Amino acid sequence: MTLLTILLLAGAVILTRVSSLRTAVGILGLQSVIVALACLIFGLKTGEFHMYIAAVLTAVIKVGLIVYSLWRVTLQLKHEREIANFNVSFLLAIVAIIVSYGFVNKVLPHMAGETLGAAIALTMIGLLMIIARSQAIMQVVGLITMENGLYLLGLSITKGLPLIIEMGIFFDILVAVVVLVILTHRLKYSFETTDTSILNELKG
Amino acid sequence: MFELILAALVLPIVIGLMTLTQKNLMTIRYTNLVGSALTSGIILAIIRKITEIKVFSSEFLYVDYLSAVLLLVVALLTFTATLFSLPYMEREVKEGHATEKMIPRYYALLNLFTFAMVSVLVVGNLGLMWVAVEGTTLASALLVAFYFNRSALEAAWKYVMICTVGICLALLGTMILYYAQVNAVGETQALNWLYLKQISNTLNPTIVKLAFVFILIGYGTKAGLAPMHTWLPDAHSQAPSPVSGLLSGALLSCAFYALIRNIIIIQGTIGTEFIHTVLLGLGILSVLLAIPFVLVQHDVKRLLAYSSVEHMGIIAIGFGVGTPLAVYAALLHIINHAIAKSALFYLVGIISQEYKTRHLKEIQGIARVMPSVATMFMIGILAITGTPPLNIFISKFLLIMAMFENKMWLLGGLTLLLLVGVFAGLMNYALKMTFSNVPEKMKRANVSPVALTAIGLSLCLMIIGGVYLPTILSEILTKAAEIVIGG
Repeated sequence: MTLLTILLLAGAVILTRVSSLRTAVGILGLQSVIVALACLIFGLKTGEFHMYIAAVLTAVIKVGLIVYSLWRVTLQLKHEREIANFNVSFLLAIVAIIVSYGFVNKVLPHMAGETLGAAIALTMIGLLMIIARSQAIMQVVGLITMENGLYLLGLSITKGLPLIIEMGIFFDILVAVVVLVILTHRLKYSFETTDTSILNELKG
Repeated sequence: MFELILAALVLPIVIGLMTLTQKNLMTIRYTNLVGSALTSGIILAIIRKITEIKVFSSEFLYVDYLSAVLLLVVALLTFTATLFSLPYMEREVKEGHATEKMIPRYYALLNLFTFAMVSVLVVGNLGLMWVAVEGTTLASALLVAFYFNRSALEAAWKYVMICTVGICLALLGTMILYYAQVNAVGETQALNWLYLKQISNTLNPTIVKLAFVFILIGYGTKAGLAPMHTWLPDAHSQAPSPVSGLLSGALLSCAFYALIRNIIIIQGTIGTEFIHTVLLGLGILSVLLAIPFVLVQHDVKRLLAYSSVEHMGIIAIGFGVGTPLAVYAALLHIINHAIAKSALFYLVGIISQEYKTRHLKEIQGIARVMPSVATMFMIGILAITGTPPLNIFISKFLLIMAMFENKMWLLGGLTLLLLVGVFAGLMNYALKMTFSNVPEKMKRANVSPVALTAIGLSLCLMIIGGVYLPTILSEILTKAAEIVIGG
């Protein structure tokens, strides 16, 4: 579990330094694999059957379908690269990790497992990416990262939400990615770029 | 009852699928008109039934008076929106803004949107409610992006991103609430609203307060409360006009409903003081922030969108005051605003189609070009600004009265002052649009009678609502207010 947590956080931190879209999607896939594994380990630990189903769902939807659809888009966006200030976001990501672990240790010491801090950090890094990145695909990656963080958080404080709600959440995330992929296609088609910083016409 | 709710959920999906498989535009129109009339009929039957049995609850479904208020809004608005879509989309195709191939997609998405909104109102589990609210965002996102032009794409991208991030925070809040539940009573009946309400006083207040903050930010974003409203004017102005009406009247109200359902639980744990203060603050801020954008505006649909921010603020103030009268007024205001705002969006849809612009300075002399539309538009604007004897006056008046009754002199005075500001802004533009000189290129235009019927229906309700409130509606509102207050 410790190894997985370290891998997860390392992946998230590297994510803030990546400029190639495909690498980002690859790291996202890896991250989702880790979340699925974490799910499996929780299942083995607690013996709850629905954890196994959640692990399978994570694998199919987040590792399979979402990464696949994002990968397909990035194939058409060969010349798109992220240009942002990586050093600042890198630093902020590390601050996020320190703050989350500090927060958990100080405020919720009785449940200071390894995963809770990591979950909060992951959520914050995801949010950071949505705010600081301008490439459409990068923002989607940030969104999924944030959702992964929330999912882990749910796992570590309760034993995960009831299965029917969890399935609903998975479904929503999948549809959200599909919608965002459609919009990204259209952005490329209309603006000839997927850099969202040019979306600044609507004002007032 | 179960069958009725199931029918209200399944029917839009079936109609949507049927629409997708159809190519003949005439068939699509009639299927959708009949379908939405049926759906609305079923929803009205559910409301009728609720007045008899008071509460319906099963494992995942829960309907009571509070849901009935919002179901009424959805029933009315989906019907008028579909009815208005028929002539509106026909003309969009004729003018080349949309192609015939896009029409089935439009109606299918519209049905999906209806399905998502109805499901927000009938589920009895806070987790599933979250799923349904996120579903409304996704169903409406492609409607906002419908024209796929640059500004529509920009609006849709911001809409999905901001609302999804916001709603993710609501999910975090919901998870924390579940954690509080697990800590207090264990995992049975996870996030079941009715069960949570019964055990709300056993939850840990500190944890629940944390949950409240996230839930408020999350659903508040979706309900268009300032300062999380930035997506709203973009999305509402870029969507096709019937959809703008639905987004503004029905969707914002549904998001507010999800917030209120959560608050009912939360106030059982941490009391009402903190919640009311925050709601009042956000409410006043929403009205305050909307005013400059209403006073200085260039786009007629954005004007209406900012007015929606203002009205959501008023509704938040109503729930923030929290007396039975104030909550009653806020619920009535949800209904009134939905009817008036959707009618205005439809009217602006006709106007901007005729003038081929949404720019306020270029729309002049509607009274000469389309007298019937101009009359309706003035009535709509008078209603939305709260002029007697129209419906919104009643709910605003009740709300201000509740504030003064509660000795909130300063707040009541401030609200009145702010409302005057909005009145000035909207009136200024509406009068210029309606009565100024006609631009030379504009000729007298014919308006589709179907469109006028859809709007006329709303106008009738607005005028009747100003002088007479049916006992049955008043009873539903009173009981719903009791539920909100925690009776």
